[in-house]
Amino acid sequence: MSQRPSYAVGTGLFIVLGFTALGYLATQTTSVANTSRGPSYTVEAHFANIGQLKERAPVKVAGVRVGQVQSIVLDPGKETADVKLAIDNRYSQIPDDSVATIFTSGLLGDQYVGIQYGNSKKAVADGGTLALTRPAQQLEEMLGKFFGAGGSADNLSGSYQVKARFTNVGALSVGAPVKMAGVAIGSVQSVKADPVKLDAEVALSIDKKYSQIPDDSAAAVFTSGLIGTQYVAIQPGGSPDMLKDGDELVLTQSALQIEDLIGKFLVSGSSSDKKDASSSKADTGSKH
Amino acid sequence: MSATMSRDNIVLRSLTQIGECGLFLLRMLAAVPRSLRHIRETVRQLWFVGAMSLIIIMVCGLFVGMVLGLQLYDVLSIFGGTSATGTVVAIAIYRELGPVVTALLFAGRAGTSVTAEIGLMRATDQIAAMEMMAVDPIAYVAVPRFLAGIVAMPLLCCVFCALGIFGGHLVGVTWLGIDNGTFWSNMTATVEVVKDVINGVLWKSVVFGTVVSLIAVFQGYTTPPTSEGVAYATTRTVVASSIAILALDFVLTAFLM
Repeated sequence: MSQRPSYAVGTGLFIVLGFTALGYLATQTTSVANTSRGPSYTVEAHFANIGQLKERAPVKVAGVRVGQVQSIVLDPGKETADVKLAIDNRYSQIPDDSVATIFTSGLLGDQYVGIQYGNSKKAVADGGTLALTRPAQQLEEMLGKFFGAGGSADNLSGSYQVKARFTNVGALSVGAPVKMAGVAIGSVQSVKADPVKLDAEVALSIDKKYSQIPDDSAAAVFTSGLIGTQYVAIQPGGSPDMLKDGDELVLTQSALQIEDLIGKFLVSGSSSDKKDASSSKADTGSKH
Repeated sequence: MSATMSRDNIVLRSLTQIGECGLFLLRMLAAVPRSLRHIRETVRQLWFVGAMSLIIIMVCGLFVGMVLGLQLYDVLSIFGGTSATGTVVAIAIYRELGPVVTALLFAGRAGTSVTAEIGLMRATDQIAAMEMMAVDPIAYVAVPRFLAGIVAMPLLCCVFCALGIFGGHLVGVTWLGIDNGTFWSNMTATVEVVKDVINGVLWKSVVFGTVVSLIAVFQGYTTPPTSEGVAYATTRTVVASSIAILALDFVLTAFLM
């Protein structure tokens, strides 16, 4: 009987230790540690391009987390992404002319929505919209502007099969996503080298829902982030006619080769080597 | 009869074992109300299977966390992503390594001793003696050890995980120089309570604790009353528990994802 207290105390200690460890795991190492899951209100923002923004990405003001992304939807027929932001009720004084911008944490980090306050006296209400937004920056677009390469885009057609020709598709592979305003609307069906025109013919299959794409839209081969996979981005044009099955996108922008860009930049470019390489690639393709 | 059955012996034997095991579980569940009178015995078993396993669980958790930190730092430095070390250590430990390694250690440390103890009770006729004294051996011997295992496993698993995080922090932050704030903020940004702690740590460890205790008690209780029988039963506890843990881990992961 005198032995009983010793193991009883030890067992009690064991149980307390176990529950302490559980409490530590649950509160100090998980998202509970930095989210106050208080009541929140919803604000909408429309972005021309959301890049790699994901649902539940943080919303920050001055770098401090104030809420999270609730949902991301591409409005069929429009080329903007509707992003719903759930913002903590404590931060209800956000001016309605504030600017919502998609930022990236570091070079390879996740994307988040940053809100920069405006000057308006009126605060944005629950269900309201932040009218001023800045889209995610595409590395290729920036590089293209910088080197005067990008710009014009090709023509796209409808909800089904559309063709686009590129002088260079980079590492684009079959099954890669086709995105508009950063949201996937279809996929790459095939990538073939044309034996006559000596360029790459890419067949895109696009969801029927998105049948309102102008036929002078442009297709460009972009890369997700610095080391991500490549995808085809569709930049809508202004034509009143819409793309139809079997149409061809006339305006295209090929994949930017980092080597090319660096070569131009350093003036010691090896562009002739690259041309040989791409034409011999086309030759091999024609033999099949 | 055994000669005619020799071909499907293994199949029949395994089926019989599984069936007996299930019936034994039902008998134990039926005996739970009666065993509440022996609650002190349950606490004593909790001391044996839980508190006495604490040292080995803590040491192993620490080393698992340390080696994870070291390996991940090495690989992630290729991509310049060493700041994600804390996140990956936490997710790997919570979702898989914590429950599985704890359960394997628990089967080796506590399961075997339960099987051997009950097996020797059977071999030395103590169980028969209890029955003659009108003490229900299921309620007095089997159920307290079974319940103690179910309670002890999640607690041990939490301790294992906490020490694992500490080990990863020790190697990553103290020795390899990852920034302390980055280590924690990346971890807290990614790890979720329901998905990682509740589904990973708690659910899995409760299921593993139940299965390991059931196998250990069942093997001990049905041991042939010889010294050889006790040896076989102990081995079978470890083998069957390990297989059950790893197979169930896959099934549970598929369900809880």
